[in-house]
This record gives sequence, C-alpha cells and structure tokens, in this order.
Amino acid sequence: MNSLRARILRLFAVVDRDWKKFRRNPIVIAMSILMPIVYLMILGNSFQGKLVGLPLAVVDHSTDPYQQQLMDNLRAIEAGPRTLVIRPVAEEAVAVAGVRTGKYKAALIIPPDFGTKMVTKSMPEIGLFVDNTDAISAETLRAAVNGAIGAINTDFVPIREAADQVHLRNVALYRQVDYFQSLVPGVVIMAIFLGTMTTGVFNIVMDRFIGVEEAYLLTPLSKLDIVAGLIISGLSITTIVALLVLSLSMVITGIPLSVGVGRYVLMLVIIVLTTLSLLSLMFTILGRAQHPRIVGVLSGFLNVILFFPSGAIYPLASLPGWLQWLAHINPEAYAVDALKSVLFKGASVMTVLPDIGFLALFTLVMMSMSIAMFKRTL
Amino acid sequence: MSEERKAIEVANISKQYGATTVVDDVSFDVLEGSIFGFLGPNGAGKTTLVRMLTTLIPPSSGHAMVAGCDVAKEAVEVRRLIGVIPQAMTSDTDLTGYENMDIYGRFYGIPARERKQRIQDLLEKMGLSARANDLVATYSGGMRRRLEIARVLVHQPKILFLDEPTSGLDPQSRRVVWEQIETIRREDDMTLFLTTHYMEEAEALCTQVAIIDKGKIIVLGSPLELKQQLSGQDIITLTLETVSTDIDDVLNRLPCVHKVYTESDSIRIAVDSGANDLAAVLDAVRTAGNKVLSARVHEQSLEDVFIHFTGRSIRDEAPKKVSKLSPGLLQRPGR
Repeated sequence: MNSLRARILRLFAVVDRDWKKFRRNPIVIAMSILMPIVYLMILGNSFQGKLVGLPLAVVDHSTDPYQQQLMDNLRAIEAGPRTLVIRPVAEEAVAVAGVRTGKYKAALIIPPDFGTKMVTKSMPEIGLFVDNTDAISAETLRAAVNGAIGAINTDFVPIREAADQVHLRNVALYRQVDYFQSLVPGVVIMAIFLGTMTTGVFNIVMDRFIGVEEAYLLTPLSKLDIVAGLIISGLSITTIVALLVLSLSMVITGIPLSVGVGRYVLMLVIIVLTTLSLLSLMFTILGRAQHPRIVGVLSGFLNVILFFPSGAIYPLASLPGWLQWLAHINPEAYAVDALKSVLFKGASVMTVLPDIGFLALFTLVMMSMSIAMFKRTL
Repeated sequence: MSEERKAIEVANISKQYGATTVVDDVSFDVLEGSIFGFLGPNGAGKTTLVRMLTTLIPPSSGHAMVAGCDVAKEAVEVRRLIGVIPQAMTSDTDLTGYENMDIYGRFYGIPARERKQRIQDLLEKMGLSARANDLVATYSGGMRRRLEIARVLVHQPKILFLDEPTSGLDPQSRRVVWEQIETIRREDDMTLFLTTHYMEEAEALCTQVAIIDKGKIIVLGSPLELKQQLSGQDIITLTLETVSTDIDDVLNRLPCVHKVYTESDSIRIAVDSGANDLAAVLDAVRTAGNKVLSARVHEQSLEDVFIHFTGRSIRDEAPKKVSKLSPGLLQRPGR
C-alpha cells in the first residue's frame, strides 16, 4: 500500500514537472491551438472542392442566336458558380498563346459557321484549347463549357441528350456538409498530432540532449514511471488543445454546437484514444533518440504518412491499394472515420466501436513496446 | 572510526566500448565516513567509473557493492541509498529552485510535510532561501550547483557521489561549494566519493585518494602516504633558456637532489629542502653553462605525485564541454 502511494507520488511528480514546464512556454500553447486553426483556414480556402475564377479566353467569330445562347450560358456560369471568368479575345492565335503563357486556363473558339451548322444540324464544332498541364482546372473548364453547350436546346456533338435519359436526383442522407466543415475532423487530428509531437517523448529527448536526463535516471523512477508519466502529461495537454481546436473550428465553419452531450463524450473518447495512440507510437519510435533534430525530421515524415492517407482531406476509397493498406494500420484514419461519423452522422457508440477498438488495441501494443524498448541506462 | 565498514567495494570492474577500454580492471574499497577522491586528467575514465557505481552504465565485467547493494543486481536499492551530482548541470532551468527540489523529493516518495521542511532547511543551508521561488534560469553557475547539492540531499543519501562538482566554476564559487559539502558531510556523517582534476582540492579535502590514468588506478592511499612515496620534500622548478643535455648528470651528482624531471623548457628537481638547497642547485646549473630565467620552490603536492607516477603533468585544461551524448558516443574508437 505504501509502495503504491510512493509510485503515485513519483508518477505525478513526472507529470507535474512536465505541466509546469509546458505552462511556462505560453508561446507553445498559443501555437498548438492557433496552428491547426490556420491550417483549417488555408486548407479550406486554397484546396477547396470547387474551383472558381478560372480565366477563359473566348474568340467569337459568330453572331447568331445560338452563339448568343452559348455566351449567355457561359455568362450565367460566370455570375453563378463563378467557375470561370470570360475574357473576350479577337484573335484565335492570341488566345492560344495566352493559354500557353498561363494568362488563360483555356481558350474557346466559336467558328463563324456555328449558327449555320446548328440549324442544318451538321455537327457544329467548337474548339477548346486547354492547358492540360493543370489537369484539375482543365477538367473543370471542359465540364463547364460542355454544360453551357449542352444547355443550348439542340442536340449536337459533344453532348447528346436523349428524351428517355435517366435523371439522377440527389438524395442527401445527412445534413449538408460543405467542404470547409468536412475538414474539421482532420484539423482536430492535426491538433492532436502537433500536441503529441511537442509533448511526451519529445521531452525525454530534450532532457537527454540538455543532459538533465542523467539526474532523473539516478532517482528511483522506473521505466514505467517515466514513460507513463510523460504520456499522462502529454495526453492531458493534447486533449485540452484538441477540444479547444474542435470547438473553435466548429464555430468557424458553422457546425451547430448543440450536438448533444452524448456526442461530445464520444468525441472526447475518440480524441483521448487517438492521442494515446500517437503518443505511444512516438515513444516507441523515438524513445532512444539522442537529438531533438531527429524528432523534427521524423515529425514531418510521420505527418505526411499518417495525415494524407487518413481520409481527412481525400476519401480513402480513392487511394491506390498500397496506400489503402497503409490506411488500414494508420490510427489517424480510424480517428478521422470515427470523428466524421460522430460529428456529421450522429453515430452511436456501436457504429464507431470498431474504430475505438482499433485505437485502444494500437495504444496497448505501442505502449507495451515503448516501455520494453525504453532504456533506463545511459 | 571504531569499526571500519565499507561503503563501497569495487572488484575488478572494467568497461569497454568496442575495442576501447575506458575503465580497466579497477579494484578499491571506500570506508564509511571517508572522503574518497578519484583523481585524474580529463578522459581518464573517472566519469565512466562513477556512472557504473551509480547504476547508469552496466559494467562490462567485475562487480561493485555500493551501500551494501550490488550495482548490477540491486540497482533500485542503490539509487535509493545514494545521491549523485553528475558533472553536467542537471537542474531544470524552467522550474524554480523550490520546484526542482520538490519534484525530486516526490521521486523518492518523501511525504509532503517532511519534504517541505527538509527543502526549506537545505535551501537555507545553501544560502538559496531568498531565491527559492525564482526560475533556475536566472541563477548563476555557482548558485545552480549549490541548488543541485541541496537537491541531492533531500532524500538523505548515505553516500554522495560528486563528479567534478566544481568544474566550470570560478575559484570563489568553488571554495563556497567545498565548504558547504564539507559542512553537510560532517553533520550527516555521509561517505563522499568525488572525482576531480583539481589536485589541490583533493589534497585539502580527501582522506583517501586514488589516482587514475588511462582507465587504471596507478596509486591509492591518503594524500600524506602518497606524498611520502616521493623522494625529497620540496620541488624546485627552473625555467632555462636552453636545456643542456648533461643537466641530469650535473644535478644528480648533488647530494641533496633526489630526482630530476626534465620537460621541454623547464626542469623539476626533487630536493630535501627548497630553502637550503636552492643555492647549490642554481650554482650547479649555471656552472654547466645554462641561463636560468626563473626559479620556483614549492612543497610536493598530489600534482607531483601524479607526475611521479605517470611521468607527465596533469594538465589543468579548461573544463570540457559537458557530455550531452552517451559515453558510448563520446568514447568511440578512433575519436
């Protein structure tokens, strides 16, 4: 009983030391909250689902009702979804050169015989020069122009509409989630990643580098005291930061905060388990690192291999097989899936149980490995 | 010391890193209540030896009992009974002096009330009470060292290990640190094991001294015993313009001269008495055609013991950069 009391005293001395040191670094605290939010703002505004403002050069050789209709349709796209910006150009050569220099993303050439061919139904052709080095913009513009042509109430190439065409109607299962909001789980995971990188094992590597570790190894602290103590302090700090980032990004992206206590508790469980998974993973990898620079190099690498195949910004189903395999053992993928389910679909415990189970198992395995591999001698 | 009990027993301990032997078959005993000094130049293996005795590094061979426990098999017990001040400064700069001590006290499971009292007493003794609640980052080197001495005493260790405790401190701070260590030792009746390359400190403090060079103990005994092994009482050091080749013979012919150590531009002559024999020595040297630039007389010290046994002087080098790397990295062959 007395030894248990001593163990608790030791363990929480490790935790308390870490807390005190963290608290005395207010810049680190501010950064660990601010950085994921900035990340959300940048990712949400630069890498978004729909492209807008693509410059389209239009060389118009024709003046007839069909051409007018086509231009009206393009102008409607310009005014509505703002996918493109129309730039009238007189010469075909100038427009194509503009695409080559990057001034325009594409050039649309409407031939003089456009109207005539429309009337005679002799397959009018419209030229679209695209900058196909920028595949995403090219694809978007092609679709937009096709749409504009298709909207001219005539059948001609390239879009052929049949009367008996099947109309696809969207049936939304859940409340509409826009791209900005869909990033929130990823941003929370990012906050957890940053938190676990600057707490936990990082502190032991830093102590080792400064030479302070020697004094700690000379005390009765056991391996378990050191590893568990640092994981507890890292967990508490990271969880608070992640919860702050979650609520802030919910407010920013307009996700209703009143999702119910049950869902918040479930999200807290997911956040705690994700933090534990990452903390113990890093303890296993970096438990013997001698220089903080190793942590720096590895954090960049780990971030890429954990975050991108996590489903946070791109659906896992679209990844190639080998990357999907990576996603299967990636704790961040399970965390993103669980958070998305709870946040956007109101999933119950049962739905996210496989995710939670994986995270718990991952933590258990990594924690045992990190304690076994930790070196108690110099 | 009515009953001579051993605080530390070391038997044939060695440490190898690859092909390099850092500590080579070292054996010695330290009696309870004594101050045992381990002397040697930087790189002699002092720190590695201390780290083996304090459970930080497992020995390659041999064994050691510290405070009655085997360092390899009963490491946890050893850690509870000893206090160690490593060569590097190991207090946390972003904690206050008090917090540093408090967290340490908790590592040893000392209950809150007792801990608080002991910390306040120790801070008072070390003259740090006024700065107890300041961050250690604001302390001077000497203050930081004193805090670490206070911290290591929180759990009342039986044996205190100090690895170059005054290295990197100015002479004033060094004196203060030694005074305080000596006071505490007397009050708490601790055994002290220290390493240093400051010979005069060792001579003033230690009851027992071992001189280590290249991982081996060269000689062991009380400072007085060691000095008695030297012939002569005093040392005359002469600096000459050029050292003539026959100088050894010239000097050895004098009856008062016991031993001559020739160095590149100076010679050290062990004589019976500096005051009486200086004139004769100077005469002999001048007669042999040498120009004497300076002459200095001093009583034989541990420094001379070191020179006597190793044939070279223990260079009082600037304190080396405190090791941040593991000894394995520092002592790799072909360094």
